[in-house]
Amino acid sequence: MSVKLRVWDPLVRVFHWALVAAFAANVFVTAPGKAAHQWVGYAVAGLIALRLVWGFVGTRHARFADFMPGPDAVLGQMTDMATGRRRVHAGHSPLGAIMIFNLLLTMAGLAVSGYAMTTLMFFGVEWVEEVHEALVVWAEISVVVHVLAVVVESRRLGVNLPKSMVTGYKTLP
Amino acid sequence: MTDQDDSTRGIARPKARGPRMLIALIVFQILCSAFFVVDIIEDFAAGDAVFSHMLPELGATLGLFVGLVFEVRALLHLLRRQAVMEKSLGVAAGALGALMEDYFRQWGLTPSEADVAAFTIKGFTIAEIAAMRGSAEGTVKTHLNAIYRKAGVQGRGQLVSVLIEDLLNAPLVPAGGPVDAGTATKV
Repeated sequence: MSVKLRVWDPLVRVFHWALVAAFAANVFVTAPGKAAHQWVGYAVAGLIALRLVWGFVGTRHARFADFMPGPDAVLGQMTDMATGRRRVHAGHSPLGAIMIFNLLLTMAGLAVSGYAMTTLMFFGVEWVEEVHEALVVWAEISVVVHVLAVVVESRRLGVNLPKSMVTGYKTLP
Repeated sequence: MTDQDDSTRGIARPKARGPRMLIALIVFQILCSAFFVVDIIEDFAAGDAVFSHMLPELGATLGLFVGLVFEVRALLHLLRRQAVMEKSLGVAAGALGALMEDYFRQWGLTPSEADVAAFTIKGFTIAEIAAMRGSAEGTVKTHLNAIYRKAGVQGRGQLVSVLIEDLLNAPLVPAGGPVDAGTATKV
C-alpha cells in the first residue's frame, strides 16, 4: 500500500535542475572572466530571484514557511536517524531545508561577488576575487554533501528523492 | 513532526541542552576539517607540498576526523536515549532506561531493534509501534523475532521479566554474595 503525493510544482523542479546545469557549466565548462561565464552567472542570479519570490507566493511545499527549519524539528529528524524510525516528510525535511538555504545563500553570494568583479568599482580588487573563489569551494563542498545526504535519506526512508525532483511526486512506502 | 508534548502531561522535562551543544561542536569541527582539507588540497595543487609542513597538517586533520566520528556516535547515542526517555513515565524511568540500554547493548541490538524493544517493553502493540516508526507491521515483527533471539527469551512477557527481575533483585538481596561491591551495604 503506497501513497503517491504531489509535492514539487514544475517551477521548483525546473529551478532545481536549471541551477544544477548553470553551476556545473560555470565550474566545468566556461572560463572565468569570459562572457559565457558572466551570462551563466546572470542566469543564476535570475533563478535565485525567481525562487525567492516563489518562496513566498508559490505552491504549498515551495514556500519558505513550509520548510523553515526549527531546532526541535532538526533534533526530531536526527532522533529518527538515531533510532531507525522512518518518518517521511512530505516537503523538505528540516536538515534538507538547512542545506537549501545554505545553497541559495551561497549561489546568491557567488552571483553578487561575480557581478562585482565586472564593475569598475571592484574590477581587479583582490578580496572580491578571494570571496568568489572561497564561495566556489564552499558551494562544491555543499553540493557533494547535498548529493550524499539525498542518497542516504533515500535509502533510509525508502523514498526515491531524486526521482521526486524529476516527476514531482513522492511515493511513500 | 513530533507527536509527544510532555508539557500537556504535566511532566517537567528539563530542556535538552546536551544534544544541542554536541551538534554545535560537531558543526564547528566539520567547518574546521573542511578548512584543513581544502588547505591541503590547495597546497598539493600549488605544488608547494613540503613534507615537514604537511605532516602536522595531515595529523591535525586526522585528529579532527577521529574526534568527529566519536562525537557523532555520542550524539546518536544521546538522541536514542532521549527518544526512549521521552516515551517513559515516572521516577524510575531513568534507572529503568539505563538498565534497558545496558541489556540492549549486551544483546547487540541494532538501533532499530533497540527502538522497537523499548516500545515493546513499554507495552505498545505491534501495530502502534509500526505506526510510530513509519514502517510495516511485518518489519516490526522481524525486529521482534531478532530481539527475542538475541535476548534468548520466548516472547514479550519474558523480555519484560528480564528487566523486572533485575529491578527486584538488586535492592532486595544485597547480602546474597559479593556480586556487586557498589550495592553492598553495611547492616
